Amino acid sequence: MKLIIILISTLFISQVSYSQNSVCSKLTEDIPVQAGGRVKPLYVLAKESIKFLTGKSSLQGEDPTLTFCKIMTIKDYDLPLLVEHVDTKKFLGIGDAGTMPSSELLMKKDLIRAEVFKQKENNSYKKDLSKLFQRISTFEKIQNQEAFTLYQKDTDGNLSWIPLSSISKEDIPTAIQKSKKLYIETSGDKHLLELTYAKSHIFSIALLISLVAVFLTVLLKNLKAAVGVAILSVLIQTIGMAMRVMISGRAPITNMYETVMFSGYGALLIALVILIFRKEKIFLLAGLGHNILCLFMMMFANNMLSSSISPLVPVLRDNFWLSTHVTTIILSYAALALSWMVANITLFKLFRKSLTKKDYRYHQDLIYTCIKVGIILLSAGIILGGVWADYSWGRFWGWDPKETWSLIVLLFYMALVHGKYSTWINTHRFVMASAAGFMTVMMAWFGVNYILASGLHSYGFSEGGAIFLGSFFAIQIAYLIFCGIKVDFKTIEPK
Amino acid sequence: MNKIKNLYSKLEKVLSGVKFAVVIILLFAIALTFGTFMESYHGTDYANRLVYKSWWFITIEVLMFVSIVMATIVRLPPKKRLYGFYTIHSGLIILFIGSFFTYINGVDGSLQLLPNTPARKIFIDEDVLVIEKPRENKVLKLTLPYTPWPRNLNKTIQNITVYDFLPYAEKSIKWRAPHSRSEESQHSSSYLLFNENMSQDFTLSLNPQSDFKSMHRMGLLNLHYMPKNLAECFAKESPSGFIVWSLVDGSCSSAEEKKYKMGQTDKGTDFLLIEYNGDFLKYFPNYSPMAVNDDLTKNPDSPYRVLSRKVFEDKANLFLFGKKVSYFVKRKKKWVLKDLTGKVVKLPWMGFKLSLTRHEDELVPVEVPEAVTPIQDNGEIIKGRLKAARIKVDSSEYWVTNEAPLQLKNGDNTLTIGITNTVKELPYQITLEKFVMNTNPGTKDPASYESYVQLLDGRSSEGLKKHHVFMNNPLKYDDFTFYQSSYFPLEQNQFGSVFSVNYDPGRFFKYLGCFFIVFGSIWHYILNRRKKVSP
Repeated sequence: MKLIIILISTLFISQVSYSQNSVCSKLTEDIPVQAGGRVKPLYVLAKESIKFLTGKSSLQGEDPTLTFCKIMTIKDYDLPLLVEHVDTKKFLGIGDAGTMPSSELLMKKDLIRAEVFKQKENNSYKKDLSKLFQRISTFEKIQNQEAFTLYQKDTDGNLSWIPLSSISKEDIPTAIQKSKKLYIETSGDKHLLELTYAKSHIFSIALLISLVAVFLTVLLKNLKAAVGVAILSVLIQTIGMAMRVMISGRAPITNMYETVMFSGYGALLIALVILIFRKEKIFLLAGLGHNILCLFMMMFANNMLSSSISPLVPVLRDNFWLSTHVTTIILSYAALALSWMVANITLFKLFRKSLTKKDYRYHQDLIYTCIKVGIILLSAGIILGGVWADYSWGRFWGWDPKETWSLIVLLFYMALVHGKYSTWINTHRFVMASAAGFMTVMMAWFGVNYILASGLHSYGFSEGGAIFLGSFFAIQIAYLIFCGIKVDFKTIEPK
Repeated sequence: MNKIKNLYSKLEKVLSGVKFAVVIILLFAIALTFGTFMESYHGTDYANRLVYKSWWFITIEVLMFVSIVMATIVRLPPKKRLYGFYTIHSGLIILFIGSFFTYINGVDGSLQLLPNTPARKIFIDEDVLVIEKPRENKVLKLTLPYTPWPRNLNKTIQNITVYDFLPYAEKSIKWRAPHSRSEESQHSSSYLLFNENMSQDFTLSLNPQSDFKSMHRMGLLNLHYMPKNLAECFAKESPSGFIVWSLVDGSCSSAEEKKYKMGQTDKGTDFLLIEYNGDFLKYFPNYSPMAVNDDLTKNPDSPYRVLSRKVFEDKANLFLFGKKVSYFVKRKKKWVLKDLTGKVVKLPWMGFKLSLTRHEDELVPVEVPEAVTPIQDNGEIIKGRLKAARIKVDSSEYWVTNEAPLQLKNGDNTLTIGITNTVKELPYQITLEKFVMNTNPGTKDPASYESYVQLLDGRSSEGLKKHHVFMNNPLKYDDFTFYQSSYFPLEQNQFGSVFSVNYDPGRFFKYLGCFFIVFGSIWHYILNRRKKVSP
């Protein structure tokens, strides 16, 4: 009996999959679609949609394009939609489960909307509910074939994008082919570059190579080979960023994802440049360390950093100022990240007692070098920002939280550098303060958007960042306290 | 003399010292950190008043300036290895001087543009109390203090005294004693209306001295506040549904009780007749509670009012009589009267419930501005947008706010008092032709805000000049920069535009200072490197 049921069900399932494949085989991943204010390949739209809906970039390893097509073509196709907040889970009564079937959520849509309106405070629960509501709407949009758009020339010769739902079923296969052809004829095939970029996982490869470089430095102690591999990693990241620049047509520094990418890249690059003058493997290690941290964040901190390329907000639409001002600031953050890395490594070595007095003094010099580079770049970056503001708004300085925090970072490092000339700051205080100082950078870089989130610069706001920042501060402070207690500075402090 | 010299050299040593510099730099950083958090919670304006433009913050800035100047002076005459240092520090000094010019002489305001309307008034972020006396053709102005907290002023201009100024306020209900004794029927009440999804409190009053009315609309629900004597009549059985209310003694009755004459006109309109002073008062209660004269005009002086309950049976109407409430239950086709004292009454609409929170026969509810700390949410001020000042004119006290100016009439002499921004007039005018907001293709997200304007300067012979202003492309004219900062919707898909207007007299010094700083930093770095390389 069981066997018969299994047989029948497999037969049934295979038939279903056959019928959808006939439609879905026409939906290749290189079809250009208009979504989110931009034209991109279907694969990217599908991947971003599935990611937004389920929290994972693919459903049990299934090609996102196929999942996307299944939602469109199979009636009542059920997708587990992501539910994040504890209170939202409680409201839906799903216990610890992180997802809820789309069919059930569609029925609860009005209820969720009512719950959003019921919240008086704009707290994280309300934001999460609104996000869930957006997920349901996005799912409905895909289901109703409105998310998928086709390029068309109307009778007057005007080109426009229309949703798939406005085309009768029989015409779909030919309409898709026509749309693809028309788009390539009129606008070129730049979207194919984005397809290559999205499918290449270029930054994951760079992460692996950077890890190999660390392995070569630490365990095999082969600095020459490590530098070679690090250069390879930089080259691969350069290619990745160049592709991104070609796709978006602007400098790769317009959202949190891109600034993380650029600072990791910049830190490794600066480390390699300094390495020419000072043959110190700790620089390579610090550069690789920050590079790897950034690449890790790009891969796994998806909740906080969105990798999708979206149109710019009006304020930022000035390529010249955007590239010069933000690049300088992010490079300065990269240099300060190097000093932070070296400081923490130095503290670790002190704890392990594997540092001579001379080495210790030398390490301090290395940190100081990084900080000086960081300070010069940061001052230049802040001034460039002021000039941009003056050029665009007739106002040099406006006490906007983002600019104020970049000034706080500068002031902190200024105090440190000036303090070095007094008796207040000796070597171990300098190392500790350098490690602590990066917290101000993190506050300026992420904290303003994730914790303060107000003013002209709050273009990168998203949830989940506050937890990340809080953990970062907690770990760094705990590490500093630990080192403060455990490390015997007196025996090593040179007079 | 020696003592003073001694003291000076000591002071010089402290002020030019690195430790002093470090303390000031850290103090400045802490103040800024505090400022950014204040800005995030309470908004830009509050942070400016509390921190960035406050005396203590400016003191820190001045001390920083002193520290930089002193540190440079004590290291004179010039030494070669300090060339970079001198350059950076003089850059900072020049930057400070430039900022000082901006602080003293700069203009930072906004210009509102309506389509096809010439504009030349710049609003500057400075509050003024404006007193207009049209008959004397006089306008008096009092600049209000730039403070985050309420300030006691006690300033008198002619016959007007300004007591307090509240930079951030919210209206709150105060129950005060009436100026003159209230009549018995002039009571006031506060209620709470709630269901599962919402709760809303409201106050109604029959006292003419109150800021609250006797009628209130809440979505589809109409609230009518009535003298308490009328409550009983709403519960009375009455086929006609007419309630007769005597304005003379405040009593009421149903039309049937007093056996008033009722009937229908030829066209089928219900009417009611009341004998009064040997004459008949005519009422058409379904149209108006007032008596109707022979020429069909309403007579507001008639001593009776006749209410028709039937008029209120269709829609959601709630009659409140202080401690009692009456409404029509469609299901039972019946008017009910409920007592609210100590009870919550269930209403027949959307699960709404009603409770009485306060009832006063004597005291009058008035709206009084109360000082608050402003709160910002999602980049918008949600609490504390009201500015208010308490003033005394002759012998009466009033509140003046920035919402609507206060108008006082004394015979044919009117007085208008309000709180507004300081206005500066441009010597030329700008007219908005149109405002365009482009969106990203296929979305509703804005891609650009653009204003097409005409500039007409009467001082020059160039005539009308057209300009296209959008983000990152401001209009620069006559030392002023006009930057596209905001917009507001008008009727029929039209938009008004807002420019921020800036004049910065310190610009040259700022650029020069910045150049010195960057150049000096690099120089300093190179000099230091050389020193280390050559042993």
